[in-house]
Amino acid sequence: MPVVLFLLIAAAFGLGALMMGGLFRLRRPYPEKLMPYESGIDPVGEPRQRFSVRFYVIAMLFVVFDVEAVFMYPWAVVFDRIGLYAFVEMLIFIFVLLVGYLYAWKKEAFRWE
Amino acid sequence: MVPLHWYLWLGSVVFAIGMFGFLTKRNVIIMLLSIELMLNGVNISLVALSHYMQDLRGQILVFFIIVVAAAEAAIGLAIVIALFRNKATAHVDEITGMKG
Amino acid sequence: MVELFFGYLAGAVVVLSLLVVFSRNAVHSVLWMLLMFLHMAGLYLLLNAEFLAATQVIVYAGAILVLFLFVIMLLNITEEMRLEQFTVGWPMGVSVSLGVLIAMLAALSGFRTDLKGPWSIEAVERTTHTKALGKVLYTEYMLPFEIASLVLLVAIVGAVYLAKKRLR
Repeated sequence: MPVVLFLLIAAAFGLGALMMGGLFRLRRPYPEKLMPYESGIDPVGEPRQRFSVRFYVIAMLFVVFDVEAVFMYPWAVVFDRIGLYAFVEMLIFIFVLLVGYLYAWKKEAFRWE
Repeated sequence: MVPLHWYLWLGSVVFAIGMFGFLTKRNVIIMLLSIELMLNGVNISLVALSHYMQDLRGQILVFFIIVVAAAEAAIGLAIVIALFRNKATAHVDEITGMKG
Repeated sequence: MVELFFGYLAGAVVVLSLLVVFSRNAVHSVLWMLLMFLHMAGLYLLLNAEFLAATQVIVYAGAILVLFLFVIMLLNITEEMRLEQFTVGWPMGVSVSLGVLIAMLAALSGFRTDLKGPWSIEAVERTTHTKALGKVLYTEYMLPFEIASLVLLVAIVGAVYLAKKRLR
């Protein structure tokens, strides 16, 4: 119950502050004010530019090794109970993924240019 | 206490929404997102069943589903990129290369 | 109280999944999906599966959706917003998914939960959720765990091969 109260007060404070500002501030828009802010430089072109495919390869490798890291949390917690058995299991797991890592390395997936 | 059936209803509804998206959207990327929706509908049912039956196997299964979803997203999106290179489209109804 | 939380989370999940399917802009779809995953993680917390909730946020929201966003940015289909978003066969899709939904809901009453396993809520709380999950995963489910590594290997090899073809 205190948690709910806390959440309600936090939400009410945030929304209230924004709405109060909206009620009281002046509105005098002109084109330069409505322009997106880019550190004082005039924005050029569309915001949605085409990304390079290299970003995809890096993100994909991140996903795979993220999943591998998630598997290590329960392993690390129960390691002292299961011992050598769990250790060998994890070694095989990491070895298989290492093969993939070496493949990506050989295909120059990590090289930017 | 929330009854088990509420969770199963929710899982079925999310699964059906994902299925609708997969069957009807033209954009391949949104179709892949719909598959993730379907997997999530299954996941919530499995976690609820595992909680109410006091057995952890359902949650282990959810863990493996998350792994397979990650692999599926990586491969599926790579196929979308390859498709876009060859055909310059991401719409399923414009891909008719294998029509007899 | 718990029912209220469940009602909010479940309602949000359903509305957000509908928004994922019905928004025209693919980037908006992905962002609705992100919110939907976070609410799903909240539901996992209600079911005492805190490690799965964390995994949901880390893997789904943190990694898979970033991949989706990158691909949408990569393809950058701007004319998408003006085109028809559904295929011509959409009435068939609606009827099939509705039929599956009705079939699933009709089957729900057949579920029996009287067969209880050894992991009651108290047992899980005593050993903590991550530890309990690890115990089952690394003893009983050793083979699926190693197969999961092979699935991830296939994902690396396939995705690198398909995406780097042009560069080699």
